[in-house]
Amino acid sequence: MNQPTALLDVRDLVVRYGTVTAVDHVSFTVDAGETLALNGPSGCGKSSTVAAVLQLRRPDGGRVRFEGRELTTLTERELRPLRPRMQPVFQDPYGSLSPRHRVRDSVAEPLRVQGRWDATGPARVAALLDRVGLDPAYGDRFPHELSGGQCQRAGIARALASEPRLLVLDEPVSALDPSVRAGVLNLLADLQDDLGLAYLFICHDRAVVRHFADRAVEMRGGRLVPA
Amino acid sequence: MRETVRKSVGPAGLTRFVCLLAVLAAVGLLPWLSGRDPALTVLRARSAEQEATPEALAAIRDDLGLDAGPLSLLGRWASGLLRGDLGTSWVSGTDVLPSVVSGLQVSLGLMGAAFAVAVLLAGALVAPVLLRGRGTAGAFAAMLAAVPEFLLATVALLVCGVGLGLLPTSGWAGPEYLVLPAIALGVPAGGLLGRLVADALPAVLDERWVELWRGAGVSRARVSAAALRRVLPPLVPQFGMAAVGLTGGAVAVETVFAVPGIGRTALGAAKSQDLPLLQGSILALLALGLVAGALAALARRRLLGPALRDAGLTLPAARPVRTHPAVPLTLAVLLLVTIGWGLLRDPYAVDTTARLLPPSWTHPLGTDGLGRDVLARLGHGAASTVGTAAAVCALSLLAALALGFLPRVAEGASDIANALPPVIAGILVAAAAGPGTRGAALAVALISWPPLAAHAAALVQEVRASTFLTAQRAIGADPWWILTRHVLPSVAAPVTRHAILRLPGIALALASLGFLGLGAQPPTPEWGLLLDESRAYVERAPWAALAPAVALALLAGLAVSGAAYTQGRARRRGSRRADRRRTNETNRPRYPQAPTDDRDDRDGNDETLAGARHA
Amino acid sequence: MPVAPAAPDALLSVRDLRVAFGALEVVRGLSFDVRPREVLALVGESGAGKSLTARALLGMLPRGTTTSGSVRLRDEPGSYAELVGATRPALAALRGRRIALVPQDALSALSPVHPVGDQLAAAVRSVAGVSRSQARARAVAALDRVGIPDATRRARAYPHEYSGGMRQRAVIAMATINEPDVVVADEPTTALDAELQDQVLRVLGEQREAVGAALVLVTHDLGVVRDHTDRVLVMYAGRQVEQGPTHRVLDRPRAPYTAGLLASLPPEDGPADGADGPVGGAPRRGGSGRLRRLPAIPGSPPAPDALPPGCAFAPRCPLVEDRCHREEPGPWTVGDGHEVSCHRWDEVPYPATELFLERPA
Repeated sequence: MNQPTALLDVRDLVVRYGTVTAVDHVSFTVDAGETLALNGPSGCGKSSTVAAVLQLRRPDGGRVRFEGRELTTLTERELRPLRPRMQPVFQDPYGSLSPRHRVRDSVAEPLRVQGRWDATGPARVAALLDRVGLDPAYGDRFPHELSGGQCQRAGIARALASEPRLLVLDEPVSALDPSVRAGVLNLLADLQDDLGLAYLFICHDRAVVRHFADRAVEMRGGRLVPA
Repeated sequence: MRETVRKSVGPAGLTRFVCLLAVLAAVGLLPWLSGRDPALTVLRARSAEQEATPEALAAIRDDLGLDAGPLSLLGRWASGLLRGDLGTSWVSGTDVLPSVVSGLQVSLGLMGAAFAVAVLLAGALVAPVLLRGRGTAGAFAAMLAAVPEFLLATVALLVCGVGLGLLPTSGWAGPEYLVLPAIALGVPAGGLLGRLVADALPAVLDERWVELWRGAGVSRARVSAAALRRVLPPLVPQFGMAAVGLTGGAVAVETVFAVPGIGRTALGAAKSQDLPLLQGSILALLALGLVAGALAALARRRLLGPALRDAGLTLPAARPVRTHPAVPLTLAVLLLVTIGWGLLRDPYAVDTTARLLPPSWTHPLGTDGLGRDVLARLGHGAASTVGTAAAVCALSLLAALALGFLPRVAEGASDIANALPPVIAGILVAAAAGPGTRGAALAVALISWPPLAAHAAALVQEVRASTFLTAQRAIGADPWWILTRHVLPSVAAPVTRHAILRLPGIALALASLGFLGLGAQPPTPEWGLLLDESRAYVERAPWAALAPAVALALLAGLAVSGAAYTQGRARRRGSRRADRRRTNETNRPRYPQAPTDDRDDRDGNDETLAGARHA
Repeated sequence: MPVAPAAPDALLSVRDLRVAFGALEVVRGLSFDVRPREVLALVGESGAGKSLTARALLGMLPRGTTTSGSVRLRDEPGSYAELVGATRPALAALRGRRIALVPQDALSALSPVHPVGDQLAAAVRSVAGVSRSQARARAVAALDRVGIPDATRRARAYPHEYSGGMRQRAVIAMATINEPDVVVADEPTTALDAELQDQVLRVLGEQREAVGAALVLVTHDLGVVRDHTDRVLVMYAGRQVEQGPTHRVLDRPRAPYTAGLLASLPPEDGPADGADGPVGGAPRRGGSGRLRRLPAIPGSPPAPDALPPGCAFAPRCPLVEDRCHREEPGPWTVGDGHEVSCHRWDEVPYPATELFLERPA
């Protein structure tokens, strides 16, 4: 594993809430096209790590290099054009979609925000929905009119609209019904094969981690421990 | 006093303390704010013989310190206050302190009795919910809570005192004089308390622990007692606010029943521009409110004990009372038809030959003491009452949306607005600017926007904390996009709904000011004023009083049922979403009517309920 | 359907249980027995009606539901109490003493304003007419039994002063303190991480042993079912799909739904060892680093208000044929206590992996 070529290189990441250190000098790398699983019990600092990697909460220490650029020293404004390259997928399938907007509009929003909306927009949205296994007719619905699995697929379509290279998957299937989990995991596997996406995969189910990830690191009490 | 303040507040203490100081300063500056020259009044009060020469008047002005500027005025008042000197009445020339003390004694007796009535009534309202499991005592309680005291007092006066002649209706000469005022003052407060508990109980009985307790064989009586124990501590501060509300209600009730209490003293002083007496009375009323709040905080601490003090207990969102849409619709149509009909008639046409006529075809609701058509006055009164209320409402909404993004401001202002009944705000404004529609509107607006702003602030925080907003940042959206596309639309709709729901309450507050002579002035037709005018001849022409009373009651009914209906609807809409969401988190069954903990469509009536109680 | 008699040795006997919200039937005719000391798993996804079934067993259904069928609980030896339509006092007399509930989401299942010991003591005093101090002593003993350290002192503490794991134990202690014959545990492990899950199931098992109770374990996790239960009842859209001894059902599922659920679980054992187990027939990741696919059931479970006609699983079923859309299947007995509700149960292959391998879109 070559450090300079790593897509995401996290070094000595620290996140504190007051006097509590939620993430304590955590280091890992994710190469292009690979899946790194971050495994651990609830409260071990996984979610804080995700927020700090995505720079949604600025870390209190350490470095986050993405595509060779140091993110921690950038201002919010400088960060904005880089954000689309790394997209989160949340545990709550209804969480990443605005309850007030139709699924179609939520999926189209990254295109609009990033100034890539043009005459081909609607067709691109339909293609994205199709790509994640949703009938484009579902685009007319509101999130609460979809099942959890369908919503999670729509959330993935929205993430793909930003044309990312890294998806940060925060327990993407643990809130889903057991009979739809495998389908969503298969979709993620296909997308990785076809688009060469890298995944930082947060999960507490060891069997899923073993099946899905190339490598796994284990987190406990804010630190990485030998898996 | 400062000690009590600090004790009663906790973390938000500083804002509240600053707000209190501001109100105190406003009270102290009243003589300067009113901008009127009291020298002649004071001269007459001091000595009937002395001639009103310019020198004598100037000497009095100098003595009162009116020319020395606001700061020195405030300083003089404050230093007098610290020495226990409340000044000298401008009208009677006597010391203010004894009048205030005697008024306070009477009012305390009345409020004590009213509080007892309130607690009894609340108990009666809550009992069926506890005994039958889950009832909806909330609807009836909400009705009672929405009826303004001045209306209840007038009706009690009409029915018990005048109609049946059972109880004395005027004065303060023995325990029997206490009954009607205590009921008029206590029933709305009891409705409020009962509603708070009755609304909170079903949601608490839906909490997980009740399942465990019942499933482990705990008896129903023990579960009920435990639920009550669970409900009370978070509600006690609201009980304190209900007690504060009593101080506002006391003004109207004491006026109607001619009880020589502090409220009536304050109102009289405001009307006669006797500012030192007014300052003293308002101070006493504020102190009453603060003591009530402090007592409530103390009760809460006792209830919780040391281990739970920091546990951050919050209640689950109350389940709204469901109303059939026909109820608010019927009330609205009834009101609109009456108003529309009245608008076609002339409200000012005086006909001295047709005074106090009973209802007939020519005068469907009879005539008043000047022979004016009651229906016409009712219809035109709606324009000034409800129209002003709509303007106040719109202004409050704008202020709330603008200031909702500054949660600190909204919170502090909301606290002080909850502690300041509209009547007292009305007295202050009327004393400063003179009574009138504008002053009344200003007073009501001053205390209507903070609850809306607090609701907006809560929504803003909630939206900002939501996952989908995080997702917005992640796609590189800039703050402006997030604000205009996501935050504002999520906040504006529910806050607007909330503002519309408050419209009838605001109208009732305006009417109560009108009733007390602090709002619209004769001959303007205004509902509160109509009710007040009709009191003079209520024995001979009860219909003249009944018409505005019924209209106000309908308005109160509309407020309650409209709120219940929209809340129920928002809830049903929200519940499907929340149900899906929650179902997939914890794999619970998707009950079609499962209770939910969805809060984003809530219309903010819970935490601001006490503040919403106008009049 | 005629109501079959209870098995002679059954503690709890459910026949044609139906639960409806108004006109919407959510539990649609369930029948099963629970014998003394037996552990029965009720398995299903959201909307399957398993939590409502659990509450029906205690007569604790929410308002607005109507129940029909029969739930009989053995009261005194040889006599059964019918719970469906029973009066409130009659139900109250059974709860705690005969049957008790461990609710889902045990982390919020204790009252926040009462000391934990008082909550347990309230359960004791409601069921057994003992003095306050005796009840308190039993509460402390029960907390001690579930492994709460320094139970005397801890009994006076409030739930927010307990750790998550301790709260779970206290909930189990409260449900078992009156030594019921049947404990109903509604998703006690959902939303917990793996370590807490194990802990909860262990304590639940120990307490069940200690008081000699049978256990009805409601779950959606087939992994839990395999290790901790004697019999399993799989539900889909309010109906029984399959029921039988756990090892029979999991080793040789006859309903496509059960088979699909099992096949779609990622294999438990380590990666890339090549050996295909009976269930884990999924191809593993090869050396190329490309991801392989799991067998998956297409679509998602139906909402109770939008059930398809015939077999509710038909729209997602790879073995579907015409009659599946017309007739509700079964149940048919296919072996020693093994029942299945599928028109084509004898055509479900073994292992079912191939049946559920999606073709890439």
